[in-house]
Amino acid sequence: MLAKGKLVFFLLIGGGVVLATLTSWLDWGKSRVDFNTQIRPILNANCTGCHGGVKQQGGISLLYRESALAKGKSGKPCIVPGYPDQSELILRLRHHDPDERMPLKAPPLTDEQIALLANWVKEGASWETHWAYILPVAITPPSVWSRWPESPIDQFIYKKLDDEGLSPSEEADRATLLRRVTLDLTGLAPTAQAYDAFLKDESDDAYEKVVDNLLKSPGYGERWAALWMDLARYGDSQGYQKDRHRDIWQYRDWLISAFNADMPFDQFTVEQLAGDLLPKPTTEQLIATAFHRNTSTNDEGGTDDEEFRVVAVLDRINTTMEVWQGTTIACVQCHSHPYDPFPHKEYYQLMAFFNTTQDTDRTDDRPTLRVLSDRQKADFTQALARFSALKDTASLEYKNACRDLDAIKPSNTPIMQELPADSSRRTFMFVRGNWMVHGDEVFPQTPKMLSNLPKDYPKNRLGLAQWLVSPQNPLTARVMVNRFWEQLFGIGLVETLEDFGTQGAKPIHPELLDWLALRFMNEHQWSTKKLLKDIVLSATYRQSSVVSADLQEKDPYNYLLARGPRVRLSAEQVRDQALTAAGLLSQKMYGPSVMPPQPDGVWQVIRNVVKWRTDTTQNRYRRALYTYWRKSSPYPSFVTFDAPSRELCVSRRIRTNTPLQALVTLNDPVYLEASQGLAGQMARSAGLAPTENIRQGYFRLTGHYPSSERLSLLLKYYYTSINHYRKHPEDVRSYLTMAAPKTAQLAALSATANVMLNLDEVVTKE
Amino acid sequence: MEKILKELEHTQRQTTTRRFFLQQSIGHLGAMALGGMMMGCDVFKGEKNQNETLSQLRHFAPKAKRVIFMHMSGAPSQLELFENKPLLKDLDGLDCPKSFLEGKRFAFIVGTPKMLGPYANFEQYGQTGSWVSHHMPYFQQVVDEVTFLRAMHTDEFNHAPAQLFMHTGSPRTGRPSFGSWVTYGLGSDNENLPGFIVLASGDAIPSAGKSIWGSGFLPSQFQGVQCRSEGDPVLYIGDPKGMPRDLKKAAIKTISELNRVQHQEIGDPEIMARIEQYELAFRMQTTVPEAMDITKEPDYMHQLYGTTPGQNSYANNCLLARRLAERGVRFIQLYHADWDTHGSNQNEALEIGFVNRCRETDQATTALLLDLKQRGMLDDTLLVWGGEFGRTPMAENRGGKKAPFKGRDHHKDAFTMWVAGGGVKKGFSFGETDEIGYYGVKDQVHVHDLQATILHQLGFDHEKLTYPFQGRNFRLTDVHGKIVNEILA
Repeated sequence: MLAKGKLVFFLLIGGGVVLATLTSWLDWGKSRVDFNTQIRPILNANCTGCHGGVKQQGGISLLYRESALAKGKSGKPCIVPGYPDQSELILRLRHHDPDERMPLKAPPLTDEQIALLANWVKEGASWETHWAYILPVAITPPSVWSRWPESPIDQFIYKKLDDEGLSPSEEADRATLLRRVTLDLTGLAPTAQAYDAFLKDESDDAYEKVVDNLLKSPGYGERWAALWMDLARYGDSQGYQKDRHRDIWQYRDWLISAFNADMPFDQFTVEQLAGDLLPKPTTEQLIATAFHRNTSTNDEGGTDDEEFRVVAVLDRINTTMEVWQGTTIACVQCHSHPYDPFPHKEYYQLMAFFNTTQDTDRTDDRPTLRVLSDRQKADFTQALARFSALKDTASLEYKNACRDLDAIKPSNTPIMQELPADSSRRTFMFVRGNWMVHGDEVFPQTPKMLSNLPKDYPKNRLGLAQWLVSPQNPLTARVMVNRFWEQLFGIGLVETLEDFGTQGAKPIHPELLDWLALRFMNEHQWSTKKLLKDIVLSATYRQSSVVSADLQEKDPYNYLLARGPRVRLSAEQVRDQALTAAGLLSQKMYGPSVMPPQPDGVWQVIRNVVKWRTDTTQNRYRRALYTYWRKSSPYPSFVTFDAPSRELCVSRRIRTNTPLQALVTLNDPVYLEASQGLAGQMARSAGLAPTENIRQGYFRLTGHYPSSERLSLLLKYYYTSINHYRKHPEDVRSYLTMAAPKTAQLAALSATANVMLNLDEVVTKE
Repeated sequence: MEKILKELEHTQRQTTTRRFFLQQSIGHLGAMALGGMMMGCDVFKGEKNQNETLSQLRHFAPKAKRVIFMHMSGAPSQLELFENKPLLKDLDGLDCPKSFLEGKRFAFIVGTPKMLGPYANFEQYGQTGSWVSHHMPYFQQVVDEVTFLRAMHTDEFNHAPAQLFMHTGSPRTGRPSFGSWVTYGLGSDNENLPGFIVLASGDAIPSAGKSIWGSGFLPSQFQGVQCRSEGDPVLYIGDPKGMPRDLKKAAIKTISELNRVQHQEIGDPEIMARIEQYELAFRMQTTVPEAMDITKEPDYMHQLYGTTPGQNSYANNCLLARRLAERGVRFIQLYHADWDTHGSNQNEALEIGFVNRCRETDQATTALLLDLKQRGMLDDTLLVWGGEFGRTPMAENRGGKKAPFKGRDHHKDAFTMWVAGGGVKKGFSFGETDEIGYYGVKDQVHVHDLQATILHQLGFDHEKLTYPFQGRNFRLTDVHGKIVNEILA
């Protein structure tokens, strides 16, 4: 009944209250003033800008309790615990003279805010550690009165929905669900056969079987490697000036293999950050360290290599802290963190972990590892056998074998290597962040707020990596669980994936976040596949994404998950889906990056050191993640669909909806070829019967047959097209660019297929 | 009473700018694209914040509605164009004094270089008597329209970092570019064209690559859209062969109708935004090629600019810039490459490559200024001309050897830029360098100061046009920048 009462409250007041209510929800059941949820937001919004880590006006900093209890330059104590009327903080907030009143040159705080602060001082002005720096504790999922929850995840979600007077949506229809989970776990849309099989399977565990198969499929590793490539700022080029080629694809292949093998995330971490420091590292473990060799190299004549070596080292600190700790630390290069408890010195203590590697911004990216990958070795053995068996040196076969042998070239993967101990670098603080002005010498140490490096850990990158995945680290598991969650739901449990600090967004479901984090670490022993299976099997994930006007108004961004996720596909998925439906997608995995069609001249804009040579073999139709990535000029259609340039680590692609995206899927040759491929599939499966052709095409893309309304619109367009193409055979010949019968029917089917590739339900995960 | 009036005025201005921004951004992004942007971006989160931010985006009435930035990448020599230094002529061939070299870092100069006299003849022009060399015979005629910034300086002495610095305020990659900041703040004035357009000419385009017109951490719709003179003017804007306009129109109509059906069933407002974007894309397919087509310009225009339709030339791009400015494009970025005059080969020779660069650009630059003026557009269009840094008064001596041609090394401490229109003074010169043009001695202007000033003319407080990333509010001018009030009309 309580729930119903709240529902009415919502209807009356509207959606704007949702966030406010959520925040206050955190405070229910507490009589004391809560520092983290009630006081810190006021201080951060109004005070720490001038009285924090960067500026300490009047000698006052409100970042730490010790400093806030001290006397300022005025000699008066800022806070006297228990006595608001003697605390300068409160007196100045209440002051009537605008020149004395805080915040200076800004509107005064509200009476409620001041009363809250005064109460807090009265209660002793206790400082709480920000939630993200406290270790997660085991929580029992809340019991709820409902049949809906099927897993602990659902219990958490349901509890919040119930508190907010909302109820979950019904389960998505089977085809929608299959498409969603296939896209989420493998980055690919289901094939027509997969739809057929799943729609026919009436067993109780049909869905779970599908999930298990998807987790086992090779596409799984490719999909999750693509996510990690944004974090690793992966690119096939060096970044600056001429932006030359960099041989680093073996690292991308390492990622795919690691995800497919479900390498435990702790091992995944240690190998990438410090594979070279493991005892007798394997080739793969060395390749893994290329993670931090994706930094930009400046090959411009006359540049100071030391300057850009330092830039790369700082980028490694910032990236490590963002990827594993969801902590933005770049600002601490120049001064203590303005809002979060990270003193200036700790930045350079982190730098000391990374400052002793051999790389020095050299054009040849040394040190590198020159090896053939396992697959290349296999290919080589095969090609050699074929070559040796051939006698006729003039035959075409012989020439082909020669060519294949020639194509197998070892790559020079840049890797991390420590300097020998006797010639290692010392690390100094940079005064105000300036690399040329050295301050005190510092030694490797992790930030105190996140727990110092245990005494028995090595004081090098290996120790740092082990610390990141140790049970003492409050952040790694939470940050990672949140990344996976965001990929599935379109929005993180903490919306700011990149910032778990006090300026980041508050978690919507803090208990669920901690529960998932502990489960990932303990029960699942860092198994990503088990974690993902937990999530996709939940009733929460399986909800329909249909949204009522009412729900849209109450929760427009779907923070509360009263419905399933509905988000546009990623750049990679848009392409891979089109090629899958067209039957064109190459199954080939791994190897050097490839060059699908790109408009002429795109690369001429930058210095022409590397040429774009459009592939004509099956490499033209490889999955998107194999596309050659030049950082100064990334593949244009991917950028249009919000892929970052990968010059820096990016945690979150901000989704946009622009006309340039429409131009890509309407006019880019990649999508025109996909349309023709799809038309071919449509014709093959149903002969020349337009209605059935269209039904089959729509089914291949969505798993549904079109409603009669949709069908008639599509048919109408088909007939408009075929009328045109019958009258204009020359247009048929130019529109159909691929080898196929140049008929008016196929041209009209292709044009119709292109319309279908552009539909909202096709470019969206529903 | 006065206080109340002030308050009222302030509120009105806020609501006007807010309404203005909403209109622009809806035109530009589609209402829900804005919604999508809000999702990812803290400053837009929540109704209250949103209003604060929108009214914050433009801070006062602008003097300039748009910017045309002519970036001469590679860095033209100020000592051969605008800085008349007779003493340098006398010092030609002498060893550079040690005191000039102590504590200095150069890109290529080693040991003791020789001083290099100007390869130019200077005369004074216009009412103002501004010095211009014989390399720019056209520009000589318009000196009374411009403000020279003669003591510009930057932090970087290599091309890529200095270009990044000029365009993004930071020498590293990954920050939003000038035009991205401006369109983020203002949207476009024409809902059928992108707000930030890039036109590049010359053989080797800026060494910093596309990062200098990238959107960095701003949402991707704010990146510069490169228009090209060859191939599609905007990538994928041309219909495929065999797909006539009316059939494409029918396709867009079908997509929209089907998406409306979908919206009825699903209810997601993002679907309605997609419908708008498709219809905008269809319109852009006409408006962009039309804007980019200079063949219909009258002959006297081609004579004024020195244009030949179909070429990828700086002259064509200047004429295009005027056409785009007329159509409401907010930020037009021109690049002309290859000004890097080291003297190490013909193309890098003051006697050859440099002279050619001047010939390729002088007439068209001047024509653009005059053309905007005769159309009454110079008043609200801010023109900016310059390279990423300047060049040394010493000759380059790479590897300790004398270069085969006349050439100068990179120089960050003094160079000349000029600005015109958009509320800056006419016929004005600001800043002085020493007798050899080595250091600014009076009224120096730093790159961040120039950026702050340009933003100011567009109606922004450069300290308030910010975006949160990696834990802090970033801005174009980093933590620096002072408005150069002296040059404002």
